[in-house]
Amino acid sequence: MKILIVEDEEELLNSIVSYLQGENYLCETAKDFHTARQLMESFNYDCILLDVTLPGGNGLALLQQLKAEQKTDGVIIISARDSINDRIRGLDLGADDYLVKPFHLSELNARITAIIRRRRFEGHNILVYHELTIDLSARTVAVANKMIDLTRKEYDLLLYLAYNKNRVLSKNAIAEHLSGSESDGFDSFDFIYTHMKNLKRKLMKATNREFIKSLYGMGYKFEV
Amino acid sequence: MKLLNRTIRSYLFYSITILLVAIPVFYFVVKGVLLHSVDHSLRTQMREIRKNLDAIQSVDELQAWAKMDKDIRLTHADRVFDDKIYTAYYADAKRHDEDPYREIAGCITVNGDLYSLVISNSLVENEDLLGSILLVQSILLILLMGGMLLINRASSKKIWQPFYKTLDGMKKYELSNHSGIEVEKTPVDEFNELNQALKQLTDRNYVVYLNQREFTENAAHELQTPLAIIQGKIDLLLQTEPLSEEQVKLINALEETNLRLAKLNKSLLLLSKIENNQFSEIEEIDLREALSKTLDQYRELADARKINIEEHYDNDLRMQGNRVQVEILLSNLVMNAIRHNVEGGEIKIEIHSRNIVIRNRGANEPLAVEKIFNRFYKSGQDSASIGLGLSIVKTICDRRHYAIAYDYREGWHTFTFSPDSN
Repeated sequence: MKILIVEDEEELLNSIVSYLQGENYLCETAKDFHTARQLMESFNYDCILLDVTLPGGNGLALLQQLKAEQKTDGVIIISARDSINDRIRGLDLGADDYLVKPFHLSELNARITAIIRRRRFEGHNILVYHELTIDLSARTVAVANKMIDLTRKEYDLLLYLAYNKNRVLSKNAIAEHLSGSESDGFDSFDFIYTHMKNLKRKLMKATNREFIKSLYGMGYKFEV
Repeated sequence: MKLLNRTIRSYLFYSITILLVAIPVFYFVVKGVLLHSVDHSLRTQMREIRKNLDAIQSVDELQAWAKMDKDIRLTHADRVFDDKIYTAYYADAKRHDEDPYREIAGCITVNGDLYSLVISNSLVENEDLLGSILLVQSILLILLMGGMLLINRASSKKIWQPFYKTLDGMKKYELSNHSGIEVEKTPVDEFNELNQALKQLTDRNYVVYLNQREFTENAAHELQTPLAIIQGKIDLLLQTEPLSEEQVKLINALEETNLRLAKLNKSLLLLSKIENNQFSEIEEIDLREALSKTLDQYRELADARKINIEEHYDNDLRMQGNRVQVEILLSNLVMNAIRHNVEGGEIKIEIHSRNIVIRNRGANEPLAVEKIFNRFYKSGQDSASIGLGLSIVKTICDRRHYAIAYDYREGWHTFTFSPDSN
């Protein structure tokens, strides 16, 4: 799967590429407006990560152009600006998602995966890990056709871990993902332990396999 | 002392001095003039008498004449003397008082005999006249000066009116609003100059203020990218293998710190956005609904610390405001009540007809009221807190003219928020 990353900050670009390559995505990069435009005109991508402030022009103009050409590439705006207006403007122009800097790479990866899966497997969108199946359209989890009853938070948690499978996720990244922007004021992430504990217990009971590993002091890992 | 009173005081001082000096001087001058004219008429009389002496035949005739006119006294004289004029006082039988008289005494010779002739002239009428003139004069002077003062006062008030208006405008001026100072067009050049200078000053200050605000916002924006880079590198570092326990500890510390930095930056951005009026859409907000929504977001956090939240919603409270701002305000207050609570503590939230009261348990002593709304103020040793939450609340309240108050009583820290500051 092909991803275009449009970002003028070299080090951030490298980090994103490095993380996404680990997910077996084919990454192409553009560091300025014109390179990005050429690439976008010539190729189709499964997902485009678009920074708003670029040398040579505004990322939103690229988005407008893309939509004018009726291309269906998925677009995630990555911006330092997080006002409601900027967000609404980006989404109105046809972006699929809007991610504010700074973000966790695992969060970015989860969002890219979600967009690609939504676009590629519209009707039949199912993740399978051994005997565990996650139906993304119906938002259900089953083992051998037997449903596992998960709360909304537990389902979100599982999906986030699964999208970043075999990666170490810090508890901060998980907490931020679960609480969204409200986590700003949080200075204790104790509440994620409860969700994690319940999720692990339910999966263990249904599959007798340890999908989620606690890595002491580091965080969690979904291993398959 | 007011400027008006100050100028009037000088005038008043001058007027009173003139009045005090003028009245006695006037008295003596008029008195002198009158006396002079009496003396003149006495001398004329004496001269006339001497001229007509030839017509008198005998001393008896003269005596008879003297008897007829009580203003003339005739006595034998021993020797010749020069004419002399003087003032004498004679008792008045009717008024039991002494009346002043002006008299001239001179020698005349009738039929070879030497006589002394005294002609006198009452000064009583002169004195009365003097009194009347003086009275009229004084009234005139007082009217003149009083009128002058009044006119001066009235016209000064009118002239200074634009100045007071400008002054009033300056008192009300707020840099953050820059509504401009309302001035009155005036024919006085100095005031026009003052108003113009003032306008230039405030305009210049506003530009500096805007630059400052813009700087804060830009600085915070520029920081977002490096923060994102650090976060990305930490995420990658966490994936490297093998990781020793020591390395994990270091990575965690880095991540915590970077997260704190990101939060701090986000709060600063939020503050500068509030100050830059970036939340301008106003709508009607049901505070009960907004509060429930906020509480839902934080309930997990409260549960994790075993904090019990009691809600007493006796009233519906609605307000006009910006939804984002009001939600930020409420969640900062709720967050504050959770953060500074004790493990297993309590929070009470009440909606009254005019305000929302949020009480929480916490430290058993009141917070420093004058400091809690300051930026970067932290009570105690809470290093996780960045100390901007309440200052964001305060900034929103100041901007929108809401009221926020803090109170401490018997272990309860109470914050009262009123959407209507009256």
